[in-house]
Amino acid sequence: MAPEIFHIAQTPITCHAFSADHKQLAVSLNSNDAQIFTRQGAAWTPTETLSEHDKLITSIDWAPNSNRIVTASQDRNAYVWQQTPDPQTGKTIWKPTLVLLRINRAATHVRWSPNEDKFAVASGARAIAICSFDPENNWWVSKLLKKPIRSTVLSVDWHPNNVLLAAGSADMKARVFSAYIKEIDAKPTATVWGSKLPFNTVCGEYASPAGGWVHAVGFSPSGDVLAFASHDSSISIVYPGGPAIYNIRISSLPFVTLTWTGEDSIVAAGHDCQPVVSAASTTTRRTRGGPRAGPGSVGRLNSGAWSTFQDADKRGHTGPGGVKEKDTKLTTVHQNTITSVRPYEARGGRVSKVSTTGVDGTLVIWEADSVSAVTGAMGGMRM
Amino acid sequence: MDNAFRKIDIDIYDEDVLQEEELFDADPRDPAQVLDDAKQRQNAVRGALARSDVVGALNIVLEDAPYGSKVEEAKTVSLQTLLTILNTTKATEIPGVIRSLSLDGQDTLMKYLYKGMAMPGWGDISGSILLGWHEKLTEVAGTGCIVRTMTDRRIV
Repeated sequence: MAPEIFHIAQTPITCHAFSADHKQLAVSLNSNDAQIFTRQGAAWTPTETLSEHDKLITSIDWAPNSNRIVTASQDRNAYVWQQTPDPQTGKTIWKPTLVLLRINRAATHVRWSPNEDKFAVASGARAIAICSFDPENNWWVSKLLKKPIRSTVLSVDWHPNNVLLAAGSADMKARVFSAYIKEIDAKPTATVWGSKLPFNTVCGEYASPAGGWVHAVGFSPSGDVLAFASHDSSISIVYPGGPAIYNIRISSLPFVTLTWTGEDSIVAAGHDCQPVVSAASTTTRRTRGGPRAGPGSVGRLNSGAWSTFQDADKRGHTGPGGVKEKDTKLTTVHQNTITSVRPYEARGGRVSKVSTTGVDGTLVIWEADSVSAVTGAMGGMRM
Repeated sequence: MDNAFRKIDIDIYDEDVLQEEELFDADPRDPAQVLDDAKQRQNAVRGALARSDVVGALNIVLEDAPYGSKVEEAKTVSLQTLLTILNTTKATEIPGVIRSLSLDGQDTLMKYLYKGMAMPGWGDISGSILLGWHEKLTEVAGTGCIVRTMTDRRIV
């Protein structure tokens, strides 16, 4: 089935999150406000604006069961938004609660834990704030994961057991931490990542051979495998029991976001504008790419920018007219970097649909298995 | 605008500052040994080139290439060795040679090409030959290979 394409805005979409019923969508349109869109037939119309932050909102997450939204921003704050009736009008509104993050740099990424009783906020302060609700004081308090983070944390992902947290950081490392909060969590059972798990236990620290900022991390649905995408145009897949790390080199530009769709497959997307399915198993590894220019050409360089340059070089053409309008359009669905890919719909234990948003202001909902056509195999292995 | 403040080294006031050398795993080999290796390889490469075994010669110089801060001389020797290979290979053979390199070999070759292009006029560097190799290597290994060259702190 062809992907569903929605042009949401003329501005970049920094991040997106759906409500549990998929009828509503919260996005940050590269601004200080979170915008809520409601689906009306085949279109998304803006219905509400959540404004409280005074700098760019970097990440949004929508808890499916408790129907709460959390937003993180460069203003070093996070807010939890909850639907409550307005005391004057009786109308349902989104009411913000400030979270005491105690970080002195921008918040970069936020995710609710699976039980929705905690959330993790990654930040530029070399720390991750693990936030939980304190009913006595009626506010959200945070506990900081600090050691041994050396630089900005770019992404976080929760393990299904509600205790372990993966984090990708600009110090070139992906790590697995324990984010155990005594007041909330039951004593966790042992996993492949470890058995004794007091707060801030480092269960693993991994890097890609060529290094690079770790843009995205993700636990597999079982939580037994970790995948991370780094700026050296590669995805690494960590099997802690092995212990083995598989590193898959990509021949195109780096991925900045990824999500697992099953125990053996990942959808990743980024600067190459096209989501890619990567099928994983312990014996073989295939990466499937989207439609690309023919053999002998270098990615998409051969189209717009390249022919402009050639025209200028060979025929002295500069400015418009040298290149036909259609040549500036990319062959991919997204026309610019994809900033976030998230699971959209699950069927039979597998994610059957994923959603992507990007710098081109477009939201696309893809069938997870037909994200792209098979073009070739590549792989690399490191034990 | 006054921007003299940009020249103040604020890192000296930060105990937690992230140093350049913490961003990659250091080469476990001793610098003197790395230099010896590089010189031995130079001879091995000459031998391989005499047998017109370009792939063999490239593999010798690209495997465990010296990187890091204390091995400048070994790096220079390795670059020189590599340039003799690049300069003596016929243009028509290049695509086949590149295809028979390992993925690591392709990434390391790209690092040397960029190093060479950053030093115009040094030794027997020829810009047009480096660009020829760069074009063919990008066709085989893609833009990802260039991204890895720019990202990797293990600079050759």
